[in-house]
Amino acid sequence: MAAQTATATANGSTSKVKDAGSNITPKKPRQRRPNYNEIHAKPLPFQVYPLPAFIPHNPISLVRIAISLLSQSIWRPSSQPAAYKAYFSTETQSIHVTDPKAIRALWEQGFWGAGSLSRSEPQWLAQEKRKRGVEAITTAEEVTRKRREERRQFKLERAKAQREAIEQQLRDEGKLDAETNLEELVESGSVTESPRGTFYPSDGGVPLSDVAASSSGSLMDQVEDKLVEATPALQEEIHNQEHLQLTFEEAFFLSYVLGVLDLHKALPVAPTLSNLEPDNSFMMKYVVFHHFRSLGWVVRPGIKFACDYLLYLRGPAFTHAEFAIMIVPAYSDPYWSATSARAETCKKKAQRNWWWLHRLNRVQTQVHKTLLLVYVEIPPPWDDCATESGSLNVGNVLKRYRVREFVWRRWSPNRNRD
Amino acid sequence: MADEDEDLSHLRTMNLDPAVDEDGDEQALDYGEAFAKMANSDNATLHLPKRGEKDFESHSTDLQMSKLDASRLAMHNVLSWQRTHTQKNHVPAMYDPTTNMAFVNKPKTSMFLTMGRSRGGKEWLLPEEALFLIERGSVDCRWPIKGEENGGKMLEGAPMSLQGAYAAFLGYEAGVGGKLTMEMYTVYSGLKRSGYVVFRHGSWDNARADIQPLTPKSQAQADRKEGYWTSFWAELWRRIAQPSYTISPESLAHGPLIRPGLYRSYADIFRAMSLIPSHERTTPPTFTLPPNPNNPFRIHFDVWKTSGSQRFRKSNPPPPDFRVCVINARETDVPTAAQLSDLLATVPDDGPKENAAIMNKLKHGQRNVLLAVVDNGIPSYIRVADVEFSREKVYERPATRGGKGGGRGGRGRGRGRR
Repeated sequence: MAAQTATATANGSTSKVKDAGSNITPKKPRQRRPNYNEIHAKPLPFQVYPLPAFIPHNPISLVRIAISLLSQSIWRPSSQPAAYKAYFSTETQSIHVTDPKAIRALWEQGFWGAGSLSRSEPQWLAQEKRKRGVEAITTAEEVTRKRREERRQFKLERAKAQREAIEQQLRDEGKLDAETNLEELVESGSVTESPRGTFYPSDGGVPLSDVAASSSGSLMDQVEDKLVEATPALQEEIHNQEHLQLTFEEAFFLSYVLGVLDLHKALPVAPTLSNLEPDNSFMMKYVVFHHFRSLGWVVRPGIKFACDYLLYLRGPAFTHAEFAIMIVPAYSDPYWSATSARAETCKKKAQRNWWWLHRLNRVQTQVHKTLLLVYVEIPPPWDDCATESGSLNVGNVLKRYRVREFVWRRWSPNRNRD
Repeated sequence: MADEDEDLSHLRTMNLDPAVDEDGDEQALDYGEAFAKMANSDNATLHLPKRGEKDFESHSTDLQMSKLDASRLAMHNVLSWQRTHTQKNHVPAMYDPTTNMAFVNKPKTSMFLTMGRSRGGKEWLLPEEALFLIERGSVDCRWPIKGEENGGKMLEGAPMSLQGAYAAFLGYEAGVGGKLTMEMYTVYSGLKRSGYVVFRHGSWDNARADIQPLTPKSQAQADRKEGYWTSFWAELWRRIAQPSYTISPESLAHGPLIRPGLYRSYADIFRAMSLIPSHERTTPPTFTLPPNPNNPFRIHFDVWKTSGSQRFRKSNPPPPDFRVCVINARETDVPTAAQLSDLLATVPDDGPKENAAIMNKLKHGQRNVLLAVVDNGIPSYIRVADVEFSREKVYERPATRGGKGGGRGGRGRGRGRR
């Protein structure tokens, strides 16, 4: 694929030259993809110091190991960066990170959070600069837009070709004169138009349904042109209006597990676990988030795909998400079925009907994800987890949950016979 | 947001120019011809015809009309095809009211290679088998005449109508495993018609099936021992290069789990942050729920593919390819964790190949079962697999450097979703 070869040749400068030489066509050279392997080399916002490799037939490698062990024991580098500052925003109910350095680090090293004005990677500034012609880089959003436009064009052309084929057939059958076209037949009533019909106005090649869209598009262009004329050439620095939004689970993970997040404005409610139900939705979501993050997956919110989480193998810059996670609570603990009233409420909470499942599965197959139902075993309420100081032991609480994963896929008898 | 046909490359494969269009016509005619052939040939040489291009709208060309007429005619011919039973293929059967089964004295057709059980010189048919054969017209079933049971002349009994057969064989509780419901019969006949070999799993009489043990690990893997010195150096190297990090109770209670300090590799950090216990799959499975004869989540059918390498033999069947659990969508909800766990305890281990790619391994799962969810006669099959995510540690995969370059391989140029 063109995209891949472009990136593959990005490393070698010789092939780069060759590429440029062979491209005689006036087609604009494809935008080079940044080297994501380099940008996202670190899976966590940590710096690691591996020992030099030990090579048995090379004694110097031993010396190198000794030197690095010695130097690191004298001057001990810390893997942890200084904590990134973040604050809780009551209005948006999310955690904001505004320092550009922290935003870059959190996005590049583990794909944490999402830009408040972008699809996922905070790219508003780059897009804005490009709009104003300061820099020539294409963002993912623009690539998508372009592809959609191409696709629309292609569909129009296809419809036109089909239309012409039918007209030709009609002419061959003598139902249509050489000069008249289909529209006149529609008006005279000898041809019917179906809901799917894409008839073209006689002047241009644009289907009727598209006239409105294109005219409004041109209107937008005009407005944009006016705006560009109205605003003086903005050469001063553009102020970045975007911040990184972290979900609660991400923020909790970053501060509780990694200790790299410094929450500035404290949460409105003092974090006590005692008033949390064990099947609180945050607890369930966090347990699943922690489980998959600790196995090395990149876990991102899945609201756009009607699921709880999406699992990426290395991150959204490399591959599409492979799994879509839906969390289902499970109340197997005897505590939950001790009284009949409790058992009844638990049954209701864990209940999902088949229509729910098929709905979910349909969406996931359509977007080429594998549906993963993650059952979270809810522990009985924690009364004994308090430490001496009165606050609760988070780790002990988390250890009481248990997760189990099931892959659900549609199975077709016609496709599995051989 | 993504239509099924949004991908451009996929669209391009459809023919654009009218020259190729003729190909489509040919295919469409093929369809008609095949129908015509179907109408006047016997069923030994039958196979389903290929379908041609679909026209979505009427464009009042003669060509289209004539094609439509031809197809209609072909279909009518097929429907009006007179089905006859030759004397040679006539298989009489007798209903046995005590067991709610039917028996055949001389099984003549090849149907009996994958159906029935022979006992006492007769071929006994379970309710679903008898019903299926009667519905197909392969067997002529008779009610027994009172007084002279098992008299040699079968044809003297009163003929059983299809309605009578349904009434007799479905939902009769006292027979041999006679708990055949309409849903089960729908699934049975559907899978049979799709070309599978289907047999009842077990007897359906017990409250639940037996637990299937884990497959023992291969001996070679368990007994792999190294020399003393090799293991000594390996252990020493492991201690230097990968120190194990213990989490103090203090950091477990209040975080951060990962203490500031020097870390040699990301794998160490990931290992240290693992906290949430996952379902234990190394010990043999156990049932969590008490035995219940009304539990709908039990395996009903064993299913074999017919095109496998080994020929199916009724006397010595190979392990089944699929195990099906039939569920009434209106009366049963999506199984809870405990129900699913108990169901999967009764299917044998069917792990993926050791050297498969990580995604294939994960999608395949360790144990799997097919759920046939039937909603008023419409079955929908779902494959549920128990997947052990904690065994496939993503962070232990070797780093993929360069190679594919920017990655994003997989499914071509993304579709605007990540």
